Amino acid sequence: MTDRARLTRRDLIKLSACGAFGSSMSRWLPALANEVSKSTDRRRSVILLWMTGGPPQTDTFDMKPGHENGGQFKPIDTSVPGIQICEHLPQVAKLMQHCAPIRSMSTKEGDHTRATYLLRTGNLPQGPIDYPTLGSLFSKELGKENSDLPNFVAVAPYTQFSPAAYGPGFLGPKFAPLVVGDANRVVANTPGTNYDQSLAVKNLSLPQGINVERADARLSLLGDLESDFATQRPGLNSESHQSAYAAAVRMMRSEAVKAFNLDDEDAKLRDAYGRNQFGQACLLARRLVERGVPFVEVSLNGVGNNQTFAWDTHAQNFTSVKSLLGVLDPAWATLMSDLKDRGLLDSTMIVWMGEFGRTPKINPQMGRDHFPNAWSSVLCGGGIKGGQVVGKTSDDGMKVDDRPVSVQDLFATMCKGLGLDSMKQNVSNVGRPIRLADPAAKPITEIVG
Amino acid sequence: MTQTARSHRFGKKGSRFNVLFPRTRSLSLACFTGVMLIFVGDALADEVQNLADLIDRRIEARWKSDGVTPAPRAGDAEFLRRVSLHVAGSIPPVADARQFLRDESLDQRRRLVDQVLESPHYITNFSNFWTRVMMPESATDLQGQAQRPGFQAWLRQHLGNNTHYDTMVHELLTTKLEGDRSMNSALQNTGTVSPIAFFTTKQIKPENLAAATSRMFLGIRIECAQCHNHPYDSWKQEQFWGYAAFFAGIERTTRNEEAIGQVREVFDRRELTIPDHETVVQATYLDGTQPQWKSRISSRKTLADWMTAKQNPYFAKAVVNRLWGHFFGVGIVDPIDDFGGTNKPSHPELLDELAADFAAHDFDLKYLIRGITASQTYQRTSRKTHDSQNEPQQFARMAVQGLTGEQLFDSIAVAVGHLESFQQQQPFQFNQNGARGEFLELFAPDNNSPTERQTSILQALALMNGQFTSAATNVDQSSTLTAVVEFPWMKTPDRINALYLSALTRKPRPDELERLTKYVDSGGPSTNQKQAMADVFWALLNSSEFLFNH
Repeated sequence: MTDRARLTRRDLIKLSACGAFGSSMSRWLPALANEVSKSTDRRRSVILLWMTGGPPQTDTFDMKPGHENGGQFKPIDTSVPGIQICEHLPQVAKLMQHCAPIRSMSTKEGDHTRATYLLRTGNLPQGPIDYPTLGSLFSKELGKENSDLPNFVAVAPYTQFSPAAYGPGFLGPKFAPLVVGDANRVVANTPGTNYDQSLAVKNLSLPQGINVERADARLSLLGDLESDFATQRPGLNSESHQSAYAAAVRMMRSEAVKAFNLDDEDAKLRDAYGRNQFGQACLLARRLVERGVPFVEVSLNGVGNNQTFAWDTHAQNFTSVKSLLGVLDPAWATLMSDLKDRGLLDSTMIVWMGEFGRTPKINPQMGRDHFPNAWSSVLCGGGIKGGQVVGKTSDDGMKVDDRPVSVQDLFATMCKGLGLDSMKQNVSNVGRPIRLADPAAKPITEIVG
Repeated sequence: MTQTARSHRFGKKGSRFNVLFPRTRSLSLACFTGVMLIFVGDALADEVQNLADLIDRRIEARWKSDGVTPAPRAGDAEFLRRVSLHVAGSIPPVADARQFLRDESLDQRRRLVDQVLESPHYITNFSNFWTRVMMPESATDLQGQAQRPGFQAWLRQHLGNNTHYDTMVHELLTTKLEGDRSMNSALQNTGTVSPIAFFTTKQIKPENLAAATSRMFLGIRIECAQCHNHPYDSWKQEQFWGYAAFFAGIERTTRNEEAIGQVREVFDRRELTIPDHETVVQATYLDGTQPQWKSRISSRKTLADWMTAKQNPYFAKAVVNRLWGHFFGVGIVDPIDDFGGTNKPSHPELLDELAADFAAHDFDLKYLIRGITASQTYQRTSRKTHDSQNEPQQFARMAVQGLTGEQLFDSIAVAVGHLESFQQQQPFQFNQNGARGEFLELFAPDNNSPTERQTSILQALALMNGQFTSAATNVDQSSTLTAVVEFPWMKTPDRINALYLSALTRKPRPDELERLTKYVDSGGPSTNQKQAMADVFWALLNSSEFLFNH
């Protein structure tokens, strides 16, 4: 690695720990815990609604009525004249003025694992470079140092097919998501489940039998050890160790962590989001954004007992998609209206997408297969000029007729909408600088501003 | 010498010399022991010392010219912990530590390494190491995951036999690829011992195999030249594809672009067309020379012969530097697999000499490990004693290095006396159950340099409050802690000593001992000495000193 790269990384971590490692190290805990960011300027936040398995564009935002590829669902009018979407998204339809569907996604990768990596990092997995997932990438730019809550929270990510697509990559664990809700073990999106439990932060409470007084005593003993180690063996590793511990303790003891107490919400509002994991996770996303968390992602992995890859509708597409939309529609629409009611929609970008779309052609099992050539994603809310459609596919939906959008174009559009410089560089694990988005990418300028 | 003979002689503590000459300190006895060592036939011993001396000579020469004051030699405890983590993959059990610290013979450090190299821990640790090197994308590749057990079994077999590195790489490069290589076939044959996962994680595509093999085995990052001439380096696009042409005979016969299905190989195909270009390039080595083709010899084998030859200008250097990086946290060339034009070695002569010596010893990995760990450079303390020790590539003090998930879990397990019954690894691990699985997921490999390891909030929470550390620091549940607090005739300082030895492989300093004795005797906030002892153990297990190698 070049000296310059090394310095950048070093500075970065120094910054993270700034002021934290003063003279009295055994007092590091209280000192750090008080070092909450004083800054009050609100930057934009992002909520990513991730559709695990790849949702069908033809049954959601790019309907093909009158064509045999169109399938069983009917289009309905939306709040924006001329834009029609699927009848099973009635609530979202009423808020179309905030949404910009992109009907011309064109990404060329049809394998779940590799496509998930592509859409979530902007790059295909290739050789030694560990690209960060978009949540790590953007929260690093949008987040604040020393905030009470982590800058990136991921709810119920289904990571098994492509773990690296969900991690911080070369940005390092400091930018890793705080993961809540374990999608890798089944939690039904059905009524009657205790979602508060499934959406809690793991290991946030003190171990059984340990009260705060004892925890303090332990941390103080640890502080002595850390002080000795950092004096004798100064370096990045122990600095990072200490700043992560400080952040963890700060979160454990912060008021902001109450964001996870969904019981504080009005029961009617909770109903409106939908009493299922995804709906309650969207509510949690709003509560986190409200407390300044700049990036939250919520995965919709399935409904009921089919919780792993439910958008992967190779068979019985219409039955599955109908029930998925039944969960998606109220959650997403309530999220938008709730954010709007609190004056947060203007500063919160919502991104809806999966790793690819599905074949317009319906297979003999009434299913749709993987289709990366021409599919849809949706951008809404903060930084997005809603009420307009981007791109166009052919009548049969098989190809993009107008304005193909690559994953890098999408990343560049997000950067613009969030007020970020897409030319900003991070130093990768191989020493090569990597920009937020490829310089050759073409942001969709007409929908951002 | 056969494996058996060696493990007889050096394999056990209290080996012949130890029994004959305990506490050998006098010069004459030491000389005598030295003579005896040669006498008993381990001629390798001297060569190991020569290699260690070679390292020290070059490193020390630079200190002199650059005015660096090196840190002093590490104590036995510091060395034991460090070398156990590097070679065996975890901290040493307390019984081994006590024994080693009692051993005052002059060659105890050398014997320790010999002993660990013959243990199953070396095999496990280095099969994890080589898997990380050869399949960095296994986390993103499902088929690779399914074939990982077979790949690791292949590695273990070779590490157990101490197959020399050139032979191992040659076998990897020339593995049979023909046949059904689909996902289904991979799932049905998870028990096959084979390095095939190396190829499937690279999609069995010439360009991916070219990029991977040149980087892993030659230290050359030529992949940037795949699409365009390299902006900083001298690599040209045609060179990349000329090198990729050695893999041009591999044909994926399935129509689907992405899924791997049937694979065929045309053995004498020696050229390929650069995609989206008209240019046809001939298979050409990276040093620009053209192979001497022989009939009936596949182009892959021709490449493997060139690559693993002793006179190959890159091969030995690349692996020597990689292992150097493993032991020192920083390579002589760093990043360790980037021997690019702008990325100069810190000690070019040393790198050349190490590579030449490694090749002269037929690429014997254990020999290289013995040599590196026997050097005074490796045996410096990690404590900073002078400002001139700040530059990592001076190797003037040992770098503080992050642990892998495996090293971390296994070390905690050793420290707390946790036993997990051996389970046949599930070939297709969607859910790695149990504490170890959760740990490996949470502390998943991070390709950042080990000297720049970062801790995440979730990792911190798991270590502070997680079930595993909670149980380990619970007086009623933890083997180590229970033994320490319940053992009758011990006084508080003895108990604290025992906990330090279990977790940190050292005894507490007097000031630490005084401070902690006071804390424990007071009973802490719970006014209970046993609970206070648990608090001390908690702090030890959460400390940087425990969580890093240093």
